[in-house]
Amino acid sequence: MNRTRALLKKIAWSAFTVLFVIILNFFLFRILPGDPARAGIRDPRLKKEAVEMLRVRFGLDKPVINCFESLNPIKVGSCAVNPLDTQFFIYTRNLFQGELGISYHTNRPVADILAERLWNTVLLIGAGQILSIIIGVVFGIFAAWKARTSVDYSAVIASLLVWSLPTFWLAILLLFWGSNNGLPLAGKSTPGSSSLPLIQQWVDIARHMLLPTLTYTIVYMGEYTLIMRSSLMDVLSEDYILTAKAKGLSTFQILKDHALKNAMLPLVTVIAINLGFTVAGAIQIEAVFSWPGLGGAIVEALGRRDFPVLQGAFLLIAVTVIFANLLADLTYSYLDPRVKVD
Amino acid sequence: MSKDAFLEVNGLKKYFDATGRAGLFSRDTRHVHAVDGVDFTLRHSEVLALVGESGCGKSTLALLLMGLEKPTAGTIHFEGRDITHISEHERKDVRRKIQMIFQDPYESLNPTQSIEEIVNEPLVVHGLGADKKERDERVKKAMEDSGLKPADVYLNRFPHELSGGQRQRVVIAAALVLEPEILLADEPVSMLDVSIRAEIINLLAELRITRQIAVIFITHDLGSVGFFADRVAVMYLGRIVEIGTMLDVLEKPRHPYTKALISVIPVPNPRLRHERIILQGETPNPIDLPTGCRFHPRCPVAIATCKASDPPFVILSKTHKAACLLLVK
Amino acid sequence: MNSSEPKQQWLIRLQSFWQTFSKNRIGLVGLAMLALLILMAIFAPLIAPYTSSSSAEFQVGDIYNPPSASHWFGTDDAGQDIFSNFVFGARISLIVGFFAAFISIIIGGVLGLVAGFLGGRWENLLMRFTDTMLVIPDLPLMVVIIALTKPSLLNIIFVIGLLGWTTTARVVRSQTLAVKSRKFVLRARAVGAGNAHIISRHILPLVMPILVVQAVLVVSLAILNESALSFLGLGDPTVLSWGQMLNYAFGRGAMSIGAWWALFFPGFGIVWVVLGLTLLGQGLEQVLNPRLDTHHLMPGRPTVRKDRVEAQTKFTKETVLEVQNLSINYINEGKPPARAVENVSFTLNAGELIGLVGESGCGKTTLMLSLLRLLPSAGQIVDGRVFFNGEDLTTISDEELNKIRWKEISIVFQGAMNALNPVRTVGDQIAEAITRHMPDFPKDKIQARVIELLDLVGIAADHREHFPHQYSGGMRQRAMIAMALACNPQVIIADEPTTALDVMIQAQILELLDSLRKKLGLAIIFVTHDLGVVAEICDKVLVMYGGVTAEYAEVDTIYNEPRHPYTQELIKAFPDLTKPKKKLTSIPGYPPRLDNLPVGCRFAPRCPAVFARCHTEQPILHNLGNSHIASCHLVEASK
Repeated sequence: MNRTRALLKKIAWSAFTVLFVIILNFFLFRILPGDPARAGIRDPRLKKEAVEMLRVRFGLDKPVINCFESLNPIKVGSCAVNPLDTQFFIYTRNLFQGELGISYHTNRPVADILAERLWNTVLLIGAGQILSIIIGVVFGIFAAWKARTSVDYSAVIASLLVWSLPTFWLAILLLFWGSNNGLPLAGKSTPGSSSLPLIQQWVDIARHMLLPTLTYTIVYMGEYTLIMRSSLMDVLSEDYILTAKAKGLSTFQILKDHALKNAMLPLVTVIAINLGFTVAGAIQIEAVFSWPGLGGAIVEALGRRDFPVLQGAFLLIAVTVIFANLLADLTYSYLDPRVKVD
Repeated sequence: MSKDAFLEVNGLKKYFDATGRAGLFSRDTRHVHAVDGVDFTLRHSEVLALVGESGCGKSTLALLLMGLEKPTAGTIHFEGRDITHISEHERKDVRRKIQMIFQDPYESLNPTQSIEEIVNEPLVVHGLGADKKERDERVKKAMEDSGLKPADVYLNRFPHELSGGQRQRVVIAAALVLEPEILLADEPVSMLDVSIRAEIINLLAELRITRQIAVIFITHDLGSVGFFADRVAVMYLGRIVEIGTMLDVLEKPRHPYTKALISVIPVPNPRLRHERIILQGETPNPIDLPTGCRFHPRCPVAIATCKASDPPFVILSKTHKAACLLLVK
Repeated sequence: MNSSEPKQQWLIRLQSFWQTFSKNRIGLVGLAMLALLILMAIFAPLIAPYTSSSSAEFQVGDIYNPPSASHWFGTDDAGQDIFSNFVFGARISLIVGFFAAFISIIIGGVLGLVAGFLGGRWENLLMRFTDTMLVIPDLPLMVVIIALTKPSLLNIIFVIGLLGWTTTARVVRSQTLAVKSRKFVLRARAVGAGNAHIISRHILPLVMPILVVQAVLVVSLAILNESALSFLGLGDPTVLSWGQMLNYAFGRGAMSIGAWWALFFPGFGIVWVVLGLTLLGQGLEQVLNPRLDTHHLMPGRPTVRKDRVEAQTKFTKETVLEVQNLSINYINEGKPPARAVENVSFTLNAGELIGLVGESGCGKTTLMLSLLRLLPSAGQIVDGRVFFNGEDLTTISDEELNKIRWKEISIVFQGAMNALNPVRTVGDQIAEAITRHMPDFPKDKIQARVIELLDLVGIAADHREHFPHQYSGGMRQRAMIAMALACNPQVIIADEPTTALDVMIQAQILELLDSLRKKLGLAIIFVTHDLGVVAEICDKVLVMYGGVTAEYAEVDTIYNEPRHPYTQELIKAFPDLTKPKKKLTSIPGYPPRLDNLPVGCRFAPRCPAVFARCHTEQPILHNLGNSHIASCHLVEASK
């Protein structure tokens, strides 16, 4: 009963955060000077009628929200307009229907452009996260277990070093290395590979994924190593480890049965908290390797001033992160019996 | 109000919400009955021991007396004045006169302050002392009165450089520097080694004579206050169940709970090993109080009526009373 | 007010900080790396061989020249000297890093402090907001905002600063909460201090160390974010930051030309400054918020004496444990070892309860841990033997010892809250001991055995499914005892099992141990600082002081004919309710510190009967007959 209530509370909170992001996303694009109406339809060659047509096409002729015709520059309008006929309402309604607007650049629906790219990003981050967590956990365990030995010192120094690497720079270095070793350098698959048998397609994708995933893994494993190390150090100095030792358990048994779960718990929260930051790495990696993900979409949209795509990509990334965060949070409260269910 | 009582507590109650706060989906209206109707008086330079197990409400009572928690009901009079609901501004004067000593001398000192800063701080807070010289003198006097002699040796040290007993002396010095009239000591020796405990207790006993300070000594261990308390009040589940002079309570305990508590005090002599009344189980949680007498579920001599009616105080002598149905004639 | 005094205090603290920090290698390396870069940024015009205007003399042949004597780092796509741009680029990184971090730290610090200090609704509101901002991915949001505004240096600083405060707020809030709940804050309130005083004198000094470390981290994150934004093409086009240099090089063909220098050096600069900051932060963390760097799985030090011998004394059937002249040192690198336990002997017979009494720091816990070789890694058995059924536990192999641990000798630890694993059920932890040591025990009977054990200590069967935090203190101690009984051991070591408990619960546990001993024929070593407890249940008592045996005798002898002045004084200091009006005598002074032991008798500085010899010569153990031993020169004189 209490667990269900806690679960509902967390879901409700995530829903609220999504709503906050939607509102933030809408108003950022209306308040800041790069108003899409001016940025997108600024072409001096367009005739007045054509501009008006485009404004209607992109829904920019409607008031932003009740009382405001536009927010930058602030133009106060009538408060008596039908709230259902404002840009904000239409934007929200479209969102719930899965519509993210239309690209200025390609005239295609943004949702279609981003749908496939979302999965590519999830694939990259997922593979990278899993690898960096596994490697970080293993290194962290060894560093803590062999505390104050050369194993420990090298693990800590190496972790601090990889933590200090700018992601895009490491990506560039690996790109250099890859170009000398015959690895594919851009994209997700070789053009024309779709005609190959399925197994070969997968091998092709895996080869393309190698460098981006490697970059991602290296950049984030240092942090996980350090967190796992300090968490395990804390656990191993607890009294119950001494109890376990007094019980005659072997070192391996103590690590496996008494230390690991306890030490992993803080790591789960850190993973959840870090999700928002790790997206930054994905964007940089996608930019360098031309990986067709959301980060790549953002970089392309930036170059083309294609605001609907930018807006849609940001929203999609944020919502995905919020969802993943919720999952991590729920995992944690499921794993730790001490979590108060209030 | 009796003439010589300068601290008088009447019907004091403190209830906490069971969940701490009402949640988004839940409205829990149950209460923790931490203190549930306490009356006592304290005379000038008297030592009153408040004895009870953890969960009996003795620490909450201390916080109420200090004005650090607001009571749910009841009154506290100090020097004839009702201080139950006075403003923080008015309380400042009262705070100077009632000082508190905490259980854990390791935790009750700020590790970043030097001993001088710690003992001087109350003077700064209350704006006392005309100049630095006067404050220095008061700080040194308080320290030397607390047994930190010579004071100069300790002034520039930090808490981590001192032993547990010395730290507790620093805490006492920081209380004495305000020249208080009441010292509230919440388990002041339970964290200290046995050889040090006697020193701190002797120091408190000395202060009530040299400085005419009244002491409320809160403890779970009757043994540690036996020799210097004037009166003893035994608490169980938020209430006083027996109160009397030290000899009344120690030698002629009438409440079954007091009897049990006294019987389990360790006697440092194997030739005097005796039958102990060991109560089973633990103090029930103060949310769902037992009906009738709160002690009846653990009472070794409970009778049927104990379950039904709450016992009144029975006056046993001019100084001694206890709340037990078996004493009602 | 004399203002010079607090300033001096401040200086003293700074000096003592520097003293510890200057010994921290990681921190010093970081500081040096950072200092070098800051100097380079300040003196950039003097260091850089070319100014940026030199690109006016641009010639096609200058593009992407490899490193040479005239262009140490080569030239870029515009024919500019990369080394010069690198030197000037340091300025941009540092400016963005420090100013953005300043904004973040102020916002995060204030929010965290306010939320943590006020608590209640405000805390809820502020932390919900922080968590929301924390979940929203920061780089995409920065990209969106800068894309919509002008990519100027000022905008970049503000955007990074205004979005980078979330972790700081969380860290500061949790530290504020931790400090606020400490007793000295309550004591300050009791004294009458107001919020402003408490924040400035008590909260801030303890939040500051955390905030300093956090600030270093935030600076490095800001620098990384700036470089990423610039690389993505959102940098200020009027200034050439390292990220910007990489953006131009990557976007303008350095890759295909193979001009590695144009891609390598700017990135190297970023790594240099971020690594410097990270190392500095790590060093500061180690100095300002020191943690124990040891744990229970670190290898212990081998016993000095390696030879295995059979017990010299003939083992009677009753004797289960015999400790002979055991000495234990704590090894401190660069300092003489601390002699924690010296020359302690005692014997334990079957069914016997021996009390080990002493004040904190007297070596009693060290002695107990050494019996099963559970000492922390600094502890070393330097002399003596521990015979268990004729076998020397100090020299047998770890595998052999693991078979004796818990199976034959188990331990009930002090403060059972931490001695039980918080994420495993109590029943599971008891069952573990059985499966470890009794592999033949039928699997389907284990649960029944767990229930039986819990019943033995008075815990209802359904509580075995519960976790330790669902138990009360007394119940946890009972569960610990049940676990200790799991393999039917011969000896139980109870290390202060009743210390943190109320008198009534204490009496319950004592009665339980006493009845178990009688019922199961256990031998128990009961470690305590409480003389009264010992008198109630023990057969023999060993009184320790400062790591040595003060006195060892039958319990009646200890209380009624003590010969060592320490025992005599300790008994007088103990309140005795049978003599209520008697004033307590206290023992002046404090127990010796292990790293500063007196030359002669360790009790001499506090002893009421001290004479000249006590200060120069350590007394030996005198046998007074009837297994009564005392270490005092007076005993020898009267013998």
